Amino acid sequence: MSRFSKWTLGSMLALLVIAFAGLSFMAGSPKDVYWMVRYAFPHMHRGKLRLGDDAPDVKLLALDGSNHFHLRERTGGKPLVVVFGSYT
Amino acid sequence: MVKIYNDYKDRADFLTVYVREAHPTDEWQMKSNVKEDVCYAQPKTLEQRVAIAKDFVERQKYPLPFGIDDMNNAADLAYSAWPERLYVIDEHGQIAYAGGMGPFNYDPEEVRAWLTKRFGPATQTSSMEPAAKAAGMH
Repeated sequence: MSRFSKWTLGSMLALLVIAFAGLSFMAGSPKDVYWMVRYAFPHMHRGKLRLGDDAPDVKLLALDGSNHFHLRERTGGKPLVVVFGSYT
Repeated sequence: MVKIYNDYKDRADFLTVYVREAHPTDEWQMKSNVKEDVCYAQPKTLEQRVAIAKDFVERQKYPLPFGIDDMNNAADLAYSAWPERLYVIDEHGQIAYAGGMGPFNYDPEEVRAWLTKRFGPATQTSSMEPAAKAAGMH
């Protein structure tokens, strides 16, 4: 292995270690980094909707657990503020 | 978000959409949720989603209109919603505000700014809602 390759490999490893340490600090612990990569990254999306795009319609279940309604049924009158989230 | 709702509910409509859990007990659980006794496994059925959504609304006395995403996560996927995100859809059904991905870029104040620009500042003082500091959906 050439000296250049050794340096390149070494630098990349060092960067990986620094990135892992940085993520561990941000997420709370090395275990959190694993969980973040395993459970959060696959569901995180930057978002493709832009200003002026038609708001997609989706069918939602009402809190009573039996009635359904469409998100777009709620638009057309006043502006609609939509809050997406979960409990945890 | 509850305070913004109270300030602008007469001039704008609001809808909360419950999507898949962000930090369930069987995935990436947060210590803060353990401390606040907000411990749920990721729902595998729609009934389980409804049960958690009901818990949330009851425990937080959450006043916003509510809808629940289906188990195919159609709303989540269409709006890149997970773990939390805000939008404003105008009267023509077009996206008028698209918030960033939560939690770091989830900013209700940007929604307030949009509403203020459109309708002017909130006129009423809304101190009537104790649930203003609702967990999860802020």
